[in-house]
Amino acid sequence: MIVKKNIEVDYLARVEGETSIVVQLDHAPAIELKIFEPPRFFEGFLVGRKYDEVGDIVSRICGICPVSHMTTAIQAIENAMGIEVSPQTKVLRNIMCLSQIVASHLIHLYMLAMPDYYGSPGIVDMRDSFNKQIENLMRMKEVMNELTGLIGGRALHPVTHLPGGFTAIPSNEAFNSILGRLKKIRPLAERTVKDVSQFDIPDFHSVSEYVALGNDGEYAINEGRIISTKGLDIAAEDYYQAFVESEVGYAFAKKTIINKRSSFMVGALARLNNKYNKLQGRTKSLANQVGLKIPSDNPFHNNIAQSLEIVDGIERCIQLIESNKFEDEDFHIRAQPGEGGFVTEAPRGLLFHQYKINREGVVEKANIVTPTSHNFQNIEKDLKKLVEENKDEEPEKIKLLCEKLVRAYDPCFSCSVH
Amino acid sequence: MKNKKPKIGVFKYSCCAGCEFQLIYFQKYIMEVFEAAEITFCKMLQSGGSENGPFDVALIEGAITEQWQVEQLKKVRSVSKYLISIGSCAVCGGVPAIKNTVEEYEVQKRVYSDTSVIHSVKAHPIDQYVKVDGYIKGCPMGVRDLTEMVISLLLGKKPDFMEYCVCVECKLKGNICVLAAYGEPCMGPVTNAGCGALCPSHNRGCYGCWGPMKDANTKALADQFEHMGLSKEDIFRKFTEFGQPAKEWKAGQVEA
Repeated sequence: MIVKKNIEVDYLARVEGETSIVVQLDHAPAIELKIFEPPRFFEGFLVGRKYDEVGDIVSRICGICPVSHMTTAIQAIENAMGIEVSPQTKVLRNIMCLSQIVASHLIHLYMLAMPDYYGSPGIVDMRDSFNKQIENLMRMKEVMNELTGLIGGRALHPVTHLPGGFTAIPSNEAFNSILGRLKKIRPLAERTVKDVSQFDIPDFHSVSEYVALGNDGEYAINEGRIISTKGLDIAAEDYYQAFVESEVGYAFAKKTIINKRSSFMVGALARLNNKYNKLQGRTKSLANQVGLKIPSDNPFHNNIAQSLEIVDGIERCIQLIESNKFEDEDFHIRAQPGEGGFVTEAPRGLLFHQYKINREGVVEKANIVTPTSHNFQNIEKDLKKLVEENKDEEPEKIKLLCEKLVRAYDPCFSCSVH
Repeated sequence: MKNKKPKIGVFKYSCCAGCEFQLIYFQKYIMEVFEAAEITFCKMLQSGGSENGPFDVALIEGAITEQWQVEQLKKVRSVSKYLISIGSCAVCGGVPAIKNTVEEYEVQKRVYSDTSVIHSVKAHPIDQYVKVDGYIKGCPMGVRDLTEMVISLLLGKKPDFMEYCVCVECKLKGNICVLAAYGEPCMGPVTNAGCGALCPSHNRGCYGCWGPMKDANTKALADQFEHMGLSKEDIFRKFTEFGQPAKEWKAGQVEA
C-alpha cells in the first residue's frame, strides 16, 4: 500500500489576504481552508460610529473592492433611514461599481491567476515572454482606475460617496474625455478573453448552487433580488431567511450556507449561470467563440466568466456615460433611526451589509457577509472532489491543482475576516 | 551595492492590503521599478521567496494586532537594512485601531461567540515594536512618497517625505477653506499632506485618513470643533478614525 503524505500549503501566495490549505490524504480525504488572516472586528468597532463615517471606514475592509463595501454600506444605511436617492446617484454608483469590477478582474486574471497556467511564480518573471499582455493589462487598468477616481475622487478608498449621494459631480467634459479612452480599450478587453481562453483549464466538474443578484432590466450589479439556479428568489431585505452564518474552529472567517440546503457559489461564474441572457450581444458572441457553454459547473471557468465581464463592464460604462448628462445636486440628508440591509454584486460575488442606526445617527448594530464567506464552504467542497479525483497523482501535482482551484474562485481573505 | 539590484521585501499585517495594491497602481512606473529593484518577497505578487531576507528595504503594511506578527516583524527588522512603514495602519494604527476605543474583549464578543480562538491585542503601529527608518503616509500610501523612496534607494540618498498639513495643499490649489468659509469640520489642519487636499477639493471636510502631521495643534482644532457645535462624541470620533494610538491626536480624544 502506498503511504500518502498530507499536503499543506503553508500560505497561499497570489491571493488577497492570508490562508493555508490543509489536505489530508492518508485517511478519508479531509480538506480545510485555514484562513488565518487576523480578525479586525469591523462589526465590533462600527458600533458607536456615526452613519456618515461608515462608508469611509468599511472601504478599508478591502484594498481591491473598496467601492463595493462603501456602496453596499451606504445603501444599507439609506434603507435603514428610509432615504431615496436621485436617479443620477444610482447611475454614478453603477459606473463606479462596474469600473471597479473590471479593474479587480484584470488584476486577478493577469497577476494572480495567469502565472498558475504557465508554471511561473508571478507576473514579474513572465514580463519578457508576456510583455504584450502586461502592457495591455496596465493600459486597461489605468483607464478603469481613472474612471473610478473621476467619480470617487480616487480609485482606492473613494472620498465623494456619502449616504444621500455624491459630494461632487464630474463635469460632462471630463466624462467625454474618458469616454474616448474607454472606447480605445475595447479591443484590448476582447484580447483578454482570448488570453484567458488559452489557459489550460482543468476538465473538472462539481455541481453547485449558483447565487447572484437579479432584476428584470439589466445585468444586476447594485439592485435586485437574490436568485439562484435552484430556484431561490427573495428580496434582499429577507437575506436572513435564506442564509445562515456560523463560526468555524479553524478559521477566522465565518461560513455561510443556504438554510436547510448547503453550500453555494457566488461571483462571475454564478452571475453568468443566472443571467447570461442579460449580457451584451458582443459578450455572448465572444463566449461562443471561446467555447464557453453556460450553465457551467466547472469552477475553473470563473476565470473565463471574469474575462467576459471585463468586456461587458467596459461596454456598459460607455453606454451609461453616453446616455446620461450629469449635473450638480444636493446630497445632504437628515439622519433617521432604523434598521436596514443591502446586497450588491462585488467583483467576487454577493456582498451583504446591515446596520441599525439610532436617533443620534449612531450605529447600534452592524453585520457584514462577504463573497468569500459565501464561497468558503463551496471551495472546500470542490477541493474535496478535486483531491478525490486526483488522489493517485503526485502530492506536488495535487498541491498545485488545489492552489489553482482556490485562486480560480478569486477569494479575498482580507474581506472574509473583516 | 553598486550594479546590484536592491532587494525589497513586502510584508502585510492587519489591514486591507490596499498599500500592496497601491504598489500595483504604480502602474506607469511599476515595470521600471522591477527593472531597477528586485521584489524578493511579496506573497500577493508571487509564490516562493523567503521571508528571511536579507532585504535592502522591507516595506511593512498593516497594524500589529497579534503576537506572531511581532515575532516576525522583529525577525524582518534584523535582516533588513531599512524598514519603512507604508500606509496609515502601519504608520499610526489607521482604521484597525478604532477597536482600541472599545474594551478588547467587548469588541471581540460583538463579532465572535467563541472568543477562545481569538488572540487579538490592541492595534498598534509598527514603530511601537521595532525601529522604523521612514514613513510613507496615506490611506492608501501616497504615490509621491513611494516614488521618493524608490528614487532615494537607487541614488543612495535620504528620502525627503512630505511633512506638512493638508491646509498647505488647499492653499496651493487655491481652494476656499471649507472649515472657515462653510463651517465643515475639517481635519486638514492636523492631518499630514499628500492626498492633494482630496476631500476639501470635493466639497467635504478632510477626515484625516493620512494620519497626524507632526507637531499638530490638536487642542486648538478640537476647541474649534466644540465652538462650532460638535458634540464631545463627534469630536472623539473625528480624532480616532485614523490614528487612535497617535500621541499627536490625543488632545482630541477626550471621552465624553
